[in-house]
Amino acid sequence: MGLKFDPRTKLMLMITIGLIMMSGKLTGPEYILRLVCTAIPFILLLSIKSFKSAILYAILLSGTVFCEGFIVPYTNGVMNLIVMTICGVISRFGPGYLMGWYFVSSTSVSEFITAMKKMHFPDVVTIPMSVMFRYFPTLKEEYLSIHDAMKMREIGQGVKNPFQYVEYVLVPIMMSTVQIANDLSAASLTKGLGVNNGRTHICRISMKAYDWLLILAMVSMLVIFYAF
Amino acid sequence: MEKGFEIKDLITVGVFTALYFAVTFIVACLGFIPIFMAVMPLIGPIFAGIPLMLYFTKIKHFGMVLITSVIIAVLMFIMGHPYPIFIFCIGAGLITELVLRAGKYESIKHCIVGSVTFSLWLLGMVIAFFFGFREAYFASLADGYGQEYVEQMMSYTPAWMFYAMILMCLVGGGIGGLLGAKVLKKHFRKAGMV
Repeated sequence: MGLKFDPRTKLMLMITIGLIMMSGKLTGPEYILRLVCTAIPFILLLSIKSFKSAILYAILLSGTVFCEGFIVPYTNGVMNLIVMTICGVISRFGPGYLMGWYFVSSTSVSEFITAMKKMHFPDVVTIPMSVMFRYFPTLKEEYLSIHDAMKMREIGQGVKNPFQYVEYVLVPIMMSTVQIANDLSAASLTKGLGVNNGRTHICRISMKAYDWLLILAMVSMLVIFYAF
Repeated sequence: MEKGFEIKDLITVGVFTALYFAVTFIVACLGFIPIFMAVMPLIGPIFAGIPLMLYFTKIKHFGMVLITSVIIAVLMFIMGHPYPIFIFCIGAGLITELVLRAGKYESIKHCIVGSVTFSLWLLGMVIAFFFGFREAYFASLADGYGQEYVEQMMSYTPAWMFYAMILMCLVGGGIGGLLGAKVLKKHFRKAGMV
């Protein structure tokens, strides 16, 4: 297991990358910042050994850079618009999206809660957020199961009305959402979350030297970003 | 009624915020095609309104919608939207909260009105196109997406468009709320889940 960062460091990384990638320009020092921001998720994905997504990300982004550099100057009109839009979306949202993915897959819920607590977030924000955190992967699973079930019954291809399709997908998801909410609150009651005493945790997170270094690097990147 | 939060409420907030956010996010992804961006405030709430209505029927305390709006604001901010998103989200959350409170958290009509007012937070996402933010935002877009994209976007978003978008939010929220109420009636009340 390679480097293991503190969740707070990861949060800082996410915010920095989000801010720079969304509004960064393609000229001057900001271009270098963008390059750095694009590289960070790749390295981090390698560090948690998810090689498949790291390589996919690398291919996608190099394709984007290639398109922006070589294809765009030779196109115009609608074609240019389409290529630019697709490239822009990938290069702007790709890194942020993968950072989110990295954050979710490399942080356990208890680590997340502990980190939020150390940052003195109130419980009314921490608990819903940690539930969301856990629920996003479940949502995807639920959707895939519904998709499979629809395919088995040969529903879906024939549905032309988008509202009907949305109803077919959304209603079962909403049903299971209600169910999951009930299950989770039962589970949290057994874990004593409803007791108003302070909770203890066995999960240890601490800021190491390289955490501080990374945060320092992020802050200086933001300073450069806004100063120029 | 004013019993304060139980842990169950917080979990309901978390799960439904996740669902609402996911639906909105998927619809918002369409927004990169320029013409869709302009009608996003209309389409978004229509689909997102369906889970939102179910969420509203689960709400029994003051403050749950507010937490949802704060969480959405924080997530949007992390994803790189400018700061006005906080004002819009929390404002929309508060108004919705008051509407639901007026219905004592029971009336389905107030839920529909709540769906209308809650969808106003989407304006925080498009505020970058208008007023003081306009010039700077389009200048930054020109580098990233190319001049042609920017011109396309600009032609879809003249200043009066902002007011049209407010209207779109309201109409979209209304349609979404009505659809949601219909879905609730058709599926959930029968199953005894509301």
